Amino acid sequence: MSIKHSKASAFTMSKNCAWLFWVCQLLNISSLSIELSAWMLGILALCLCWQALILSREKRLTAKASTAKPLQKINLSFVPSLFLKLLAISGCIAIAISAKQFGVLISMVHLLAFAYALKAFEITQRKDFYQHILLGLFLLASALIFRQDLVFSLWILFLVIINLAILHQVFAKADSVAKSSKTVAIMLLQSSLLAVVLFVIFPRLAPFWQVPLAKSAKTGLSDEVAPGDIANLALSSELAFRVNFNDEKVPLYSQLYWRAMTLENYDGRKWTRAKQDKRAQQISRQKFSPITSGPAISYQVFAEPNYQPWLFALSVATTTNSKLVLNRDYTVQSTTVVNQPISYQIKSYPEAPLALSISQESRQKNLSISKGSNPRLEQLASMLKAKYPDHLTLAKVVENTFRNQNFYYTLQAPQLINNSLDQFYFDTKAGFCVHYASSFTYLMRAAGIPARIVTGYLGGEYNNISRQNNSNQTGHLSIYQYDAHAWSEIWIEGIGWYRVDPTAAVDPERVSSGWSTALLEQQSELNGDYMSLYRLKQLAWLNTLRLQLDAIDYQWTRWVLGYSSKQQYDLLKRLLGKEVPWKAAALIAVALVLFMGLFTLFNKISFIKNTLNKKPPEQVLFNKCIAALNKKGIDKAPYQTIQQLCFIVSNELPQSSSDFTNLTTTFQLLRYQQYNKLERQALLTQLKTEVNCFLKGVNQDNTKLNQKTSPL
Amino acid sequence: MVVNYLKSTINNRFDTWLKRRVPSRFHHKLSRRNIFIMPTKFGFAYLFFVFLLFLLATNYQNNIIMLMSYLLASFFITVMMHSFYNFSGLEFTSPAKHAGFAKQSISLPISIIAKRPHFDLTISFAKQVGKQQFIHLKQCKVGCTEVSLPFIAEHRGVIEPGRIKISSEYAFGLFISWAVLDFSHQFTIYPQPKKVRTNQYRSADQSDNSGSSYSNQSAGSDDFSELKDYVIGESRARTAWKQFARGQGRYTKHYQNQQGSLHWLKLGDMPTNNLEEQLSFLCYLVLEYSNKEQNFGLDLTQRGDTTINTISPNTGQEHQKLCLSALAHVKQQA
Repeated sequence: MSIKHSKASAFTMSKNCAWLFWVCQLLNISSLSIELSAWMLGILALCLCWQALILSREKRLTAKASTAKPLQKINLSFVPSLFLKLLAISGCIAIAISAKQFGVLISMVHLLAFAYALKAFEITQRKDFYQHILLGLFLLASALIFRQDLVFSLWILFLVIINLAILHQVFAKADSVAKSSKTVAIMLLQSSLLAVVLFVIFPRLAPFWQVPLAKSAKTGLSDEVAPGDIANLALSSELAFRVNFNDEKVPLYSQLYWRAMTLENYDGRKWTRAKQDKRAQQISRQKFSPITSGPAISYQVFAEPNYQPWLFALSVATTTNSKLVLNRDYTVQSTTVVNQPISYQIKSYPEAPLALSISQESRQKNLSISKGSNPRLEQLASMLKAKYPDHLTLAKVVENTFRNQNFYYTLQAPQLINNSLDQFYFDTKAGFCVHYASSFTYLMRAAGIPARIVTGYLGGEYNNISRQNNSNQTGHLSIYQYDAHAWSEIWIEGIGWYRVDPTAAVDPERVSSGWSTALLEQQSELNGDYMSLYRLKQLAWLNTLRLQLDAIDYQWTRWVLGYSSKQQYDLLKRLLGKEVPWKAAALIAVALVLFMGLFTLFNKISFIKNTLNKKPPEQVLFNKCIAALNKKGIDKAPYQTIQQLCFIVSNELPQSSSDFTNLTTTFQLLRYQQYNKLERQALLTQLKTEVNCFLKGVNQDNTKLNQKTSPL
Repeated sequence: MVVNYLKSTINNRFDTWLKRRVPSRFHHKLSRRNIFIMPTKFGFAYLFFVFLLFLLATNYQNNIIMLMSYLLASFFITVMMHSFYNFSGLEFTSPAKHAGFAKQSISLPISIIAKRPHFDLTISFAKQVGKQQFIHLKQCKVGCTEVSLPFIAEHRGVIEPGRIKISSEYAFGLFISWAVLDFSHQFTIYPQPKKVRTNQYRSADQSDNSGSSYSNQSAGSDDFSELKDYVIGESRARTAWKQFARGQGRYTKHYQNQQGSLHWLKLGDMPTNNLEEQLSFLCYLVLEYSNKEQNFGLDLTQRGDTTINTISPNTGQEHQKLCLSALAHVKQQA
């Protein structure tokens, strides 16, 4: 108990709590560390070190004073304010200067983190502390703009618990940090019911205003490709996208050519996407709807953010999603840059032809080669052209040369001088998919066949762990960055764009079932990664675990990240039928009442449990006797001692008097003496027999008394 | 003006409502009936923060931030329930009548009965009376806890300090739950004792009037008259130590005015014209006389007042209390 005279006392923390507070700041900031620039991280580290210094100095001071203070109160607020102001101003100027480079969002994040670190120095009142906690929570929320996968979300949840536990410590100083964290975790668990209901039901609104978007480095496929580029991407085992085929059959591995973009321009070194001139742009603005035929498969794609607009689909893709654009080269792209996980529904017609007729302009584009860049290939092409007038046969012949000659499919292709395709085709004969696709396309063009390179992904890992839970579903495909691939398309009269994958000729396993063991070994060697895919696949249980985690992450992406306003509307319509809005509101209200009701019930139960548990067994036994006496009309008033009660009992119930005296002595021994466990146990059993004996006696006595009183 | 008027009417309305809702009792148990709960400033700031998160989530169409904002919003309600349950079930008892001197700390005992641990309780007076002081309990353990709330009154008189406010911001400072309990507390505040020397007082006495029948006889409280055998229970202050040390036996000194003569303490005899000061002097004398176990009476008839306000001479604790509370009750003349 403490008596205080004024409320505006300085805000202090116990030493342990202050250190925890420090650690918490460190963790909060570190969850944003990828987004922050190096110099800002330096400043933040400096601020934290400074705080740590103050904290440790405080400790030393108390050691010197050697006064018996159990909990040293710590106040961080004695850093010279002028210096702080100077630091704050210079930091803000630095952020403002680099704002152009960072973009608005990242500058804002910098400012937030900077403010968070500096605010810690001027916590003088409780108000300041509250502000700091809210800032910290906001920092955590802003970290979620950049990453939303399951592991990171759980990490943020953990940090939210720690932040709130520190807030709780201020009000329950006696509790340990672990206990506070537990309290907060339980309370968050209690809150989660209502939160989930709100998440499912509360209307998803459209963005209120334009916000600066996250501009991270582009990942995945690039819109320009030189030989050897995709081999670098193949070292990454990051997820690119997932596909859910619902209850349809998953196509064969060799049919899973996920098209991302077509590369039609070749400058002698690298392939690039055709730049659209103004007229082409006008055309592309008109909606393109491909001609479809044959059987269709529909599937849902969950794409990870790649900070580019390209999306992935099997040809010929159609969609009803208004956020997607179907391009004239049969690729699909998003209207905006994909900077957070998106999901879209696609209906593909694998057997439909691609562009039965092409414009002269397009034909020209797909025939152009920079003359003289690869003279030997051009020579070969003209020879082949003369020999095989049929385009399809010519293509097959070239494929066969890849198959029959000593070509080698490898991640470690020898360096080519000026990306010379001649050198690859005639000398080194070792390369990854782009090498083959480039030289094949070049040969075709040189032979007068319109050809282009298509990049995308091939195949995907089939995960049917989610299938076990739900028999209707066929599991999902996970496509990783190492599935990135490049192949060719040639245009043939009457067939349209025809897919030719020279890789299939060199390394059939790659196309039919995925990476060969030799390639995997190479990959893990190049990565220098101990936990590489190759090693993971060696160990069965680890691989199962990996697939489990993938399945969990898939569900998370599908149900939580992919829960859009459309899905919400569909779900609510299915659940509630007509008149959705007011029913939804009613549902939220019911959830709120239910939540509070459950809470009250929970509280009551735990209270009752508490009171029951608190009573030692001897007290429970003794209370039984008191209750029995109560029935007989002998009440124990609170002021009466046990001895007095004994006296009353001996007067009123002389038969049971000795029993009662015995049990009271045992009870008092148990209640007021210190015993070890064994002795206690022995005494308790003794008490039990005595109590039973007494109760029996009292009950018999009861009947006698009744007989006595009835004649009266 | 208008604002003040509105404020006072609203306060009055609230007070009458409160009187019906939480009537005066000796024993209160906190429950739905008497607990008030409101978000604190921080609570409102938190709500605003959650709203900001919601905006952020909507603008970025970010489901995880959305989930976080919903979770924190539900957390707000959970904290409200926790604040309520931290508060309800507590029982308070406090006796109603207390007495003390002006400008001295009077402690108001309050006993708290808890059936489970409660945290972060602040106990204070609901209304600003005298110097505001409060007790802060970090944790109220299971069982009975006795606390005493200090109170300092500036002036003598009968003071009703009003309701006792018990409040708590437990758990996260998002909510303040409070109860204003009425124990019908009443403080009788005696005047602050002010030392007056006997000669001062006596001179005043003599100058007043000599026609008074009894004032002449009171020839001073210090006039020694005789020694008598010690009777058990007599004050040690009057033991004749000199004789006792010589081994002549234990005697008690007796004074002249105790020989049946009455000593009257009169308001008008005090060496000042200020009523409050006069009462302070009288208070001092009452304490002095009762300490010496002298017989005395109190005459509080004010000049020009027709009603006679006297307490007949007596001794003992009861008499002292009677006299002191009479001093506290003296009305200021218009």
